[in-house]
Amino acid sequence: MIEIHNLTKQFEKIRAVDEVSVDIKEKTVFGLIGTNGAGKSTVLRMIAGVIKPDEGTVAVDNMPVYDNVEAKKRLFFIADEPYFFANANARAMERYYSGIYEAFDREEFYRYLEKFNLDKNRKIGTFSKGMKKQLALLLGICAHTKYILCDETFDGLDPVMRQGIKSIFAKEMEERGLTPVIASHNLRELEDICDHVGLLHKGGVLLSKDLEDMKCNIQKIQCVFSAVEDETKALNGLEVLKKEQRGSLCTITVRSTREEVEARFATVDTIFYEVLPLSLEEIFISETEVVGYDIKKLILG
Amino acid sequence: MTSKNSFLANCRENHKRRVWVWIVTVLSQLLAYGGMMMIYLSRIRSYQAQGSYRTMAQFQAAMYQAAKDALAFSDNVYGVIIILAAVIGMQGFSYLYDRRKVDMYHSVPVSKDRRFAVVYLNGIIIYLVANLSGMILGAVIAAAQGAVNMDVLANAGLAFVWHLFLFLAVYHMMILAVMLTGNRFVTVCVFLAFVLYDLCLWGQIGTLKRIFFETYSEYYLSTDPKLSVLYDCMINIWDIKNAKDAAAAAVIAMPIVAKWILIAAVFLLLAWFAYKKRPSEAAGRAMAFPVTEPVFKVAVAIPVAFMVGGLVYDTSYQNEMLQVAGMLAGGLIFCAAAEVLFAFDIRSLFKHLPSSGIALVSILAIFSVFKWDVFGYDSYIPAQNKVESIAISADGYYDNYWDKDRQYIDKNEFEKENMFLTDVSPVLKLAEAAQEADLEEKEDCYYVQILYRLTSGRQKARSIRVDYDDPGTEELLNQIFSTDAFKKGTFQGITDKDACEDVTRITYTNGPARTVIPTAEAAGLREAWLKDMEQFDFTLVRHNRPCGSLSFEYKNYNQRQWFVYDSFENTIAALKKLEAYYPMALDAADIESVTVTCFHNELTEQENAADGEIEARAVAVEPEYVDNTDYTVSETFYEEEQIAQILPNIYCTWIDAPWSSYKDLDENYSIEVVFKRDTAYPYRRDSYYFGYSFYAEQVPEFVVEATAYTGQ
Repeated sequence: MIEIHNLTKQFEKIRAVDEVSVDIKEKTVFGLIGTNGAGKSTVLRMIAGVIKPDEGTVAVDNMPVYDNVEAKKRLFFIADEPYFFANANARAMERYYSGIYEAFDREEFYRYLEKFNLDKNRKIGTFSKGMKKQLALLLGICAHTKYILCDETFDGLDPVMRQGIKSIFAKEMEERGLTPVIASHNLRELEDICDHVGLLHKGGVLLSKDLEDMKCNIQKIQCVFSAVEDETKALNGLEVLKKEQRGSLCTITVRSTREEVEARFATVDTIFYEVLPLSLEEIFISETEVVGYDIKKLILG
Repeated sequence: MTSKNSFLANCRENHKRRVWVWIVTVLSQLLAYGGMMMIYLSRIRSYQAQGSYRTMAQFQAAMYQAAKDALAFSDNVYGVIIILAAVIGMQGFSYLYDRRKVDMYHSVPVSKDRRFAVVYLNGIIIYLVANLSGMILGAVIAAAQGAVNMDVLANAGLAFVWHLFLFLAVYHMMILAVMLTGNRFVTVCVFLAFVLYDLCLWGQIGTLKRIFFETYSEYYLSTDPKLSVLYDCMINIWDIKNAKDAAAAAVIAMPIVAKWILIAAVFLLLAWFAYKKRPSEAAGRAMAFPVTEPVFKVAVAIPVAFMVGGLVYDTSYQNEMLQVAGMLAGGLIFCAAAEVLFAFDIRSLFKHLPSSGIALVSILAIFSVFKWDVFGYDSYIPAQNKVESIAISADGYYDNYWDKDRQYIDKNEFEKENMFLTDVSPVLKLAEAAQEADLEEKEDCYYVQILYRLTSGRQKARSIRVDYDDPGTEELLNQIFSTDAFKKGTFQGITDKDACEDVTRITYTNGPARTVIPTAEAAGLREAWLKDMEQFDFTLVRHNRPCGSLSFEYKNYNQRQWFVYDSFENTIAALKKLEAYYPMALDAADIESVTVTCFHNELTEQENAADGEIEARAVAVEPEYVDNTDYTVSETFYEEEQIAQILPNIYCTWIDAPWSSYKDLDENYSIEVVFKRDTAYPYRRDSYYFGYSFYAEQVPEFVVEATAYTGQ
């Protein structure tokens, strides 16, 4: 597990990360969401042991990570702009990383290269941005570290490649307990990958929750009540996060389980009601509006 | 078999990233040694083809020397090595400038210590392999042409050590510069500051001392940079190159190498400390540690300001006000430029004004220390019980000096090594008297250089102005001059054990006459002269002029003059015995003619004074060149009677007269004496005339009349 406690980092007069505390559990895909400048990259760089926190601690499997080789052996960090040696090709990068990471799986790497149609002898400098990100991901996956830290790595990948990487992640998680940590400014990029999401804003954590928990505990109901009393009765005791009304059609977001909502609405007189699935985006909108943030401005643009 | 992530594997991997540095370093060393060796040896061969060497031995010696010049201490190599050290140091750690590289290198499981060690050692390996390859190539070329002997190899070995530690000192400076900065340009600036700072700082301190301290002198102790490897190279390379052999070269080189080791160690420790503390986020910034910004700014602003001030002072006819203005402007401009450099923003010109203020205040404070002699530099006279010994050099005498290898050395160097006046009281009194005396207006003052060797082990040097004509000064100088310590530290002929060895020729001259004395008489003559020197003191040399001088010539073309006074009875007796002595006084019967030239200085001075006024007026109206009249009048006397009246009053100006007063001779006249061709007098046949001067106020009246200026 990666335990982040009260992590703080200041660059000159700018507080980039402000007392962030998050736990990243093993065998989950952790998504780190935030706007540009929210502090995602800084948090990832501190987790990777690249930069030293001003305050707070980062522990990887109970080991401090900064300048700690043993802790770093369990991490592979893919920066937002991954660096490859000048004039190097995929083979050269493999040679370098296989020298650094003892568990690096060369055969698997070349197999993946073929699968992703990346020429091992072609100079990386001639690769497209997406191809470079693919290569970085493959190097990271084949390094066989326990944790892989991806900073905006999925941005720019086409859907097919995203799916490909996603399935590799799933396989590696299944086979050896890989824990990917993915930072992105785009909520939609992470929706289908992450198990757990941490939302960073202005250097601090707005929320950190399991996606399943969020999805199970927030319900959106569209309904038309027969009378006002029915509405009052149905919502009594439920935590209403959001309510919109257009004519007689109400759209209500509540914090509750689907079963409880259905049980409540079954006891009142409604002309029509339906419990709808929420997208990650909608869940975030609801969750963050509660704490006073307009998520649309923050992430969705 | 090494582990995939072993130290050696890391080194190997790092070398792959440094291919171009390998190529540049190896090529430069192959060219510096191999290329220069071919050029030097082919030059000697072409000289031989032109017949420049009379014997094969001479040719072989020239070949050895050429091989030594190319393979050992060479002006071509140390500059290359300084540049290579800088390039290798910067390239090795340049990943620290780039955030993307830092993200990669600092996230992989390689410890900071190992990464530093790998990059650092690889840099040294690149240099060593390249340097040794170059030297081996050079040695092979030399050996193929028969230009290698043990001395060449020994010197090459010594040069290898010298160059290695020069490399390390500069390499470590560059590594520290990289650690302190975040981009190449600023790194180069900081590196140059490390390399040149000491040189510039001491240069400016020397300039300020020269301008403001009357007693400042570089005769015995110069204001040299203490820690500049560049200066060490520039100053010492010539002596090392020209040392007699490798052992002699090592005696000069090794203390410097020891100093470089110390410098290299300090810079490496600082670099290591900075590396450990350097934040990764410093990549791309100007300075890695913000705290170093004001330190760098203030530290560099000071010498820069004094350099600008010095330049203004020199170009403004030594105007101190303009010097101060120049200093402050220079300091301020540098501070502003530094801020722009730190922020990469022209709008940052006047940021961090407090540190700029500290720089300007420091500049003014340092200037004030020199201007108003805050620490009493000029009034310094050590307490008698604090002085162990003194070396002193009084204006008015010079001779040739050499070391045990008969290599010429400077007079001050000889005095420092050989003069140890333990009776320091007269010197201290002389220094006190110099402080009390008001000699501002006095033109004919002399400088006396003093080196105080203090009991603490420190040395201090001062220069004082004294009036040789002052009776009190003369008495003190007598006390000093008459000591054995002064004589031994001034006249090498007294102390030189080999003074009579390898003498190739002895001559005695009174000016026109020169007689050759058998070299076998050297010891006897020296003994007589030493006995006469017992009477030596300041009064003797100030109020008397030598009647002649002995010249000892040695192998290696060394030559020493031993002056002889009328009172040197033993020497004169020995010379007479050898029929080599001729008095200063000449016989009119031997003289063909005497030509007297009167310059009429008094008329020139009058005209100059008048011209000054005229010129001042003329400049106000229209500048024009004012020509002076030639008042020179010459008259040649042939009459034996007239010549006989002239001869007792003249002195041969071809004889040096140490410490004598120029006022003893009349500068208004010059005399040319021409001997009869058939005379038996042994005058030197290589000249047809001999230069003389009248003693002051002893010009015969008929000469005055004959050379009077009549306006025609």
